[in-house]
Amino acid sequence: MSKDNAPAPARKLPSENLYVDSSAFWQGTRDKKLLLQYCPLNGRFQHFPRPISLYTGRRDLEWREVSGRGRVYAVTALRTNGLGADGRLPCVLALIDLEEGVRILANLPGCAPGEARIGDAVHLVWDELADGRYPAFAKS
Amino acid sequence: MTTDPIGIVGYAEIPNRFRTGRSAYDLAGEAFAALLERTGVALDEVDGLSVTAALSEGTNPFFAAYMCEALGVTPTWLNLSATGGCSGLSAVMRAISAVREGHCRVAVVLSADAPSTIYRADFGAQRTEFQEPQAAARPPAAFGLLMSRYAHQHGLKEDALAKIAMVQRGHAVMNENALPKLRTPLTLEEYKASRVVADPLRLLDSVMFCDGANALLVMSRDEARRRQLDKMLLPTAYAEVTNHNGRDPLADITESGFTALGPRLFKQAGMAPKDVRMFQPYDDFTIAVQLQLEQLGFCPRGQGADFVLDTDLRHSGDLPLNTGGGQISAGQPGLAGGPLNLVEGVRQLFGEGGERQVSDARNALVTGIGVIPYGRNWSTSAAMILEAA
Repeated sequence: MSKDNAPAPARKLPSENLYVDSSAFWQGTRDKKLLLQYCPLNGRFQHFPRPISLYTGRRDLEWREVSGRGRVYAVTALRTNGLGADGRLPCVLALIDLEEGVRILANLPGCAPGEARIGDAVHLVWDELADGRYPAFAKS
Repeated sequence: MTTDPIGIVGYAEIPNRFRTGRSAYDLAGEAFAALLERTGVALDEVDGLSVTAALSEGTNPFFAAYMCEALGVTPTWLNLSATGGCSGLSAVMRAISAVREGHCRVAVVLSADAPSTIYRADFGAQRTEFQEPQAAARPPAAFGLLMSRYAHQHGLKEDALAKIAMVQRGHAVMNENALPKLRTPLTLEEYKASRVVADPLRLLDSVMFCDGANALLVMSRDEARRRQLDKMLLPTAYAEVTNHNGRDPLADITESGFTALGPRLFKQAGMAPKDVRMFQPYDDFTIAVQLQLEQLGFCPRGQGADFVLDTDLRHSGDLPLNTGGGQISAGQPGLAGGPLNLVEGVRQLFGEGGERQVSDARNALVTGIGVIPYGRNWSTSAAMILEAA
């Protein structure tokens, strides 16, 4: 997807469940579904996943699929090595506000810098890595 | 419990240098020895110590205790301060509390770091799974996003950001502890020609890592008088907040904790922003300075650029800004960089600013910013107003 001619080095997925149980998120990536943590008592999503609900302070939490539709809230393009995007510069990075009322940090791997603007509608795509996939977004 | 005023009575700072090859312990030792020499305090009299958590020693949970061993200090009050760029400010307040409670009498707030020599911080937590795959975990990414949103809401004025960088560079020229390579004046053309790191953030909006250390001495006025330490500063106001808006998944990322703590701070001090004689704000990026001017109430929200362009920010001006050059121009010695601007505030209020001395140095507003969170501005905001006792 990168517009760079040089092939990016194979990026690998991080280990799962090191912080909290995130296995539903990772199973979702294998099923091509974006699953985020959901507080059933409050009816709201939260991301990244937490050990408790931000809305109730309780551990009643589940995982639900989101639509994958949202809008760009903020967007930048990384242009230098050493920021974690070596080999895939320029790397477009955005904060996406999903329809479900939760914000997610994601790359826009098909977009050139300046192409995606704040307020633009975006939808879920998948960034294919060496050993799996990671959620990303593209302009709708 | 003493009712005697307790404050800062001494300071020491070693020069910022790039890739010294030295450890945080060694750099800390140099700053600590300089503090003892400058204040006449004997090694065995130091009974309180706060150590700032360092990027270069990031994996060691015993850093503070090891520092005691390294320096031969036997404290009855020991603190590891770990709010990133707020660590120095918050440690001074906690040291004052410890002295007031009688846990110690002679407290040192010690910050040293050597991230340009070795970087051993491993942040773990949510970053590994939810920020690093997208390359979203490092400060330039976070501030590129923040600036893009600010530009959308209010518009960015490149000349204002350039002015912050140029004024501070002018101050670094006069600061012999600043990184040598940054001690040349900066022109608008050079600023505008500097490369973009994370749109629209430029290299010259940013700090440069280096190695360095500083130390502050905290005690009561009686204790200071007994030692003929006649200069003393009191934090007449202090406020901090961590994880501002932390339960709102759609919070405005251009709004930081300073919005919440600004009114509280000025009420405590019994003053208004117009009464601030000098501003020594935490400066990891130029936009952070502009945002703090707005959020602390120097000007309305969204008008920070105009305020910067309309105000003389030089050491000789109306609102002197980071008179030592700040981290952007003196260098950022890792997490010892937070107290860099605090030490400069103390130096100025002691009247020891040399050729960059601010006239009528009656107070200073010093701030801290700490820790890059997930998809927000920053984690901890802290602000202190210092005045002579």
